[in-house]
Amino acid sequence: MNISRLSWQNLISNPLNTTLSLLLMTFGVGIISLLFLLNNQIEQQLQANLRGVDMVVGSKGSPLQLILSSIYHIDNPTGNIPYSEAVKIDNNSLVDLTVPLSYGDSYNGFRIVGTTHQYPELYEMSLKKGRLWSRSLEVVLGSTVAQTHRLKIGDTFYGTHGLIEGGHVHDEYAYEVVGIFNPSYTILDQLILTNAQSVWQVHNHEVVEQGNEHQECDHEHHDDEHSHEHHNCDHEHHIEESTASGLELNASIPEDAMITSLLVKFKSPIGLIQLPRKINETTNLQAAVPALEISRLTNLLGFGVQTINIIAFIIIIVSGLSIFISLYNSLKKRRYELALMRVHGASKWQLAQLVLQEGVILSVIGTVLGLLISRITLLIITLFAEHKYTINSFQFNLLIEELWLLPIALLIGIAASIIPTILSYNINIPKTLSNE
Amino acid sequence: MLQSQSINFSYDGIHQFYFPDIQLSGREELLILGESGVGKTTFIQILAGLLKPSSGLLEFNGVQFHNLPSKELDQFRGKHIGMVFQSPYFLKNISILDNLHLSLYLSKNKEDKKRAIELLEQVGLGDKINSKPNDLSQGEQQRAAIALAVVKNPSVILADEPTSSLDDVNCKRITSLLKEQATSTNAQLIIITHDQRLKSQFDKSITL
Repeated sequence: MNISRLSWQNLISNPLNTTLSLLLMTFGVGIISLLFLLNNQIEQQLQANLRGVDMVVGSKGSPLQLILSSIYHIDNPTGNIPYSEAVKIDNNSLVDLTVPLSYGDSYNGFRIVGTTHQYPELYEMSLKKGRLWSRSLEVVLGSTVAQTHRLKIGDTFYGTHGLIEGGHVHDEYAYEVVGIFNPSYTILDQLILTNAQSVWQVHNHEVVEQGNEHQECDHEHHDDEHSHEHHNCDHEHHIEESTASGLELNASIPEDAMITSLLVKFKSPIGLIQLPRKINETTNLQAAVPALEISRLTNLLGFGVQTINIIAFIIIIVSGLSIFISLYNSLKKRRYELALMRVHGASKWQLAQLVLQEGVILSVIGTVLGLLISRITLLIITLFAEHKYTINSFQFNLLIEELWLLPIALLIGIAASIIPTILSYNINIPKTLSNE
Repeated sequence: MLQSQSINFSYDGIHQFYFPDIQLSGREELLILGESGVGKTTFIQILAGLLKPSSGLLEFNGVQFHNLPSKELDQFRGKHIGMVFQSPYFLKNISILDNLHLSLYLSKNKEDKKRAIELLEQVGLGDKINSKPNDLSQGEQQRAAIALAVVKNPSVILADEPTSSLDDVNCKRITSLLKEQATSTNAQLIIITHDQRLKSQFDKSITL
């Protein structure tokens, strides 16, 4: 039997008070820790999905909306831009790489995005099964899409107009699954990719289909047999299109073709200085810089996080108060026990240690439990939210921000024990023992 | 050897308590009798080094322990003095056996599990060693309190009204238990009480 064990015995002999103090400490620390973890996850996720995209070009509107809709696919698009404008940007000498995105349709809540093979390349996607699309209406599924709908190679489905479930079904054109990606823990897991032509075809089928047929068959009239079906023309043409790295205006693309937005990577930072301004000032398009918009967004989120942090700190302080009250009360009840210990030969400091330890044990256990609970909560959130948000990489290690929590909780535990500790240090033995 | 000379004490500086001189050598027993309000508890607390006398001389084995620094006095008390109170005091959150262990720990004696258990068996609590103090009857608590006072083999056992709330049978039992334990640990025994029943059991007694 020693002082530490006695502290512990005193705590477990008073389960109600101990539980209350612990619960408060655990909740306070847990909330703050969870906020830190979520914040960290969100920032990581935002960065992971950025993939070095320097600029996003779309139609005029909110720049944040443009970023959210075309990089994170969590907002509605701002509108459409002419494909010809995208080609102009692609041809600019400062531009390294562009990825056009056309979207507007979905399948049971998962977006169908018309793009080029550069898009999965940018996200370093690898195929689990099948191949990339090579012609219109062929799609490759993100892993979450395939998993949720149990789709496999060769399956077909119809797209729905709009980005939420329950829109008009485009039942004239069925998409065919030709490939499924491995999980990448990025937004692409939740997208259905196809080529831009598919999107045009489904929407303006008259223009595109007839245009395509007309132009291509015209084009190939010279050296091909009449018996060639337009289907074959289409097929051959799209292989050609999809292997080209840059954007170009060619016969397969209708003059009035529109895309939703264009992701741009620059060759050097000079592009970042010149191009966004130039586009915003001289054209009808809007250029948004993701890095800028994301920091705006995190600032906005930061305010909410701050508020919850303050509330959580108040809970921790209340837990300190609860520790104080429970120590003070039990001290009053156990005054004679402390006097008895002095009679047994305990020093003043040993009594102080006894009381101080109770406060410290409570705050340390509370903190550890809080850190644990925040992680369990995050794990649960991750399991339930996997479809909607890509919080997929779960981490258990301590964040730097969280290292603060232990000393702060310890300080509060000590502060709460100070008055009871001083009282026990200065206990009047003869008076306590003779008053009974 | 314990001796006191012309000790007096005052709580408020006006009313003075004067205490008789005592001198105990070897393994002696002393009964101090006194009515309520004559300062019995005060005297025993002075003897235990819990209160400092206003004047007078108090010595144990040549050490004037009242003049020791606080920490050394705590250690002195822990090592040499075992106290039994009118109502038994324990740490109620730990078992009787752990109470004995704690006393050994605080008085810097080796934690002797066997001795503590033997002692509890001697006072008739062999089957209650793991009980919490509040689960014992009053008579059992008083016996446990004696075991608690003597477990560290003190040089002096000071008992403050150990029998006043007990019936005749238990009174006799507790007194003989105290004498028995004093003998077996070779300690001096001082009992302060108003309980006249004890008079017949002691050779040496003084009245406050």
